[in-house]
Amino acid sequence: MAEFIGMPSLWQNIQQAMRLDQTIFADIQRIPGGLGIAFVIVSLAGLSEALGQSVILFINRLPPKRFMLALLITAASHVVGYLLWTVTVWLVGVYVFGQSISLTAIACVVGLAYAPQLLAFFELTPFLGNPFSILLTLWSMVAIVMAVRAGLNLELWQALLASGLGWIFIQIWRRTIGRPIYALGRWLQRRAAGVPMEFTLSDLALLRRHPAWLENLDNWRNRMRQTGLRNNMRHSIEKLVKREQRRA
Amino acid sequence: MLETLSNLSTYLGIVIVGLLIWAALSPFETLGWWAGWFGEKIYVDHLPSDGFVRAVRPGSPAYILFLSGIGRVSGETFSRREQGFLHRLALALPTAVVIDDIFPYSVNNLALTGQPFFARLWRWALRSKIDGPTVAGYLINIRNILQVLISADKRYGPIYNQAMAEVLLHGLLRYNYDLTSQTPVFIIGYSGAAQMAVGAVHYLRELINAPIYVVSLGGIFSSDPGLLGVDHLYHLYGTQDWPRRLSLIAPGRWSIFATSEWNRARRQGLISLVNVGPMRHTSTGGYLDMKSLLPTGVSYLDHTVAVVSEIVRKHAGVATDGSPQTAGGTAMEVANVGMPT
Repeated sequence: MAEFIGMPSLWQNIQQAMRLDQTIFADIQRIPGGLGIAFVIVSLAGLSEALGQSVILFINRLPPKRFMLALLITAASHVVGYLLWTVTVWLVGVYVFGQSISLTAIACVVGLAYAPQLLAFFELTPFLGNPFSILLTLWSMVAIVMAVRAGLNLELWQALLASGLGWIFIQIWRRTIGRPIYALGRWLQRRAAGVPMEFTLSDLALLRRHPAWLENLDNWRNRMRQTGLRNNMRHSIEKLVKREQRRA
Repeated sequence: MLETLSNLSTYLGIVIVGLLIWAALSPFETLGWWAGWFGEKIYVDHLPSDGFVRAVRPGSPAYILFLSGIGRVSGETFSRREQGFLHRLALALPTAVVIDDIFPYSVNNLALTGQPFFARLWRWALRSKIDGPTVAGYLINIRNILQVLISADKRYGPIYNQAMAEVLLHGLLRYNYDLTSQTPVFIIGYSGAAQMAVGAVHYLRELINAPIYVVSLGGIFSSDPGLLGVDHLYHLYGTQDWPRRLSLIAPGRWSIFATSEWNRARRQGLISLVNVGPMRHTSTGGYLDMKSLLPTGVSYLDHTVAVVSEIVRKHAGVATDGSPQTAGGTAMEVANVGMPT
């Protein structure tokens, strides 16, 4: 069943991409369904990354349904980021290095380079998550360079240059004509969240939760006293019953 | 043979991946609490007093909160050594209120055995821990270690430690603590619970007026901002206690990071390192073992009780009543305050 839906192939591709195996970046452009595999990897990586960064959603106290929605929007924005990377790498390949290569082939290799990001979810791991995220960033950078090298058939230094150029191109795009699209993304995220996403991780030290029970201590004390009395009675009765049972 | 090895490595791989996924999911409890997903309730186990521990004492000069090591599943201790320690401590400090019904590995004091989805699993783990096989009992330890890591994490710590401060305050108020008083609060954190104690201090300070002292009993804790919020931290350690050195996984505990909270607190004189003798971390030969004896003939348990009660007396002026004494001077003198760790 798993083989029928192509699971082993997907899993093997992911494994090879994570190992930064150069051959898989070349093969993915040729195997049937390569684009589909790339898209599945990018979507899952987007979801994993969204989960890994979900602390911010909790800090802003999103209710569960809004949380899920915001998670999906974030994952979708990662997919948009992937499309942007694909187009950028293709443009650099065609216009800077004069390669004749199809956009689909580039989409396959760039998508495969997202494989390490499937582990982004582990950034949530307490105490060890932060060092892991640094490792993951480096890992992903190497994967991107490998993908560009294989996709555009370049030397290593050329692949590094192409990746760097791609990064610069994206930064320019974000700050100029891409701004309305980013604004749309942020608007969508705010709509999905349903609350003003005003707090970031750096605000945490100053944020305080004010428990309702502390607001009216007299009420709380009365309640606790009554509960305490009830429990004491229950414990006394249980003791008596046990004693009687032992006697019997 | 090769096939068996291959199968074994596959199973081992599955277990490791399972543990990693569990670790990554573990902060959701804390984060969900902050987001209000689990309500505001703080759970209470309602354990009756035995006349010594958990006894309300009007006008008490000191409140002692005992936070247990990572083996617990609820506010109730099943460890006979811990019970013995608490009983003797309450006897040594007859006017102090000793509170031990706090489960420091939960944001709302909810016992693992009372959790909505996994209660059955934890009850099974607890039964296994008590009756065997003990391996299943290690699930409890792993779960609680993850909570210690959450408290020490820069992202989750401010949330978890706030929750812990609220739970501690709830515990104090249940035993009639007067918020307007200057009655000092002593938090004893055993093993990983020292992190919970140190982490909560920063926030507990905002809720009460009185001095807060932390007694770390073989404590494992990071360089938490709470270290600068304590009135004093006594770090009791045994020379045979190796697990306490796990604190060193936190770079802030290394002496080369001079500006870390740990090193700043040490320079400010907020921390005393107290060598209590050749004690281990736990079980036989541990801090709470009454069968192992010091060369003076005093049991490890009695010596630990003597050191802790002397710290309390020093700061709270609690009356003495038949407290364990250490031969050849007061317990603290014998304990060598200030030895490097």
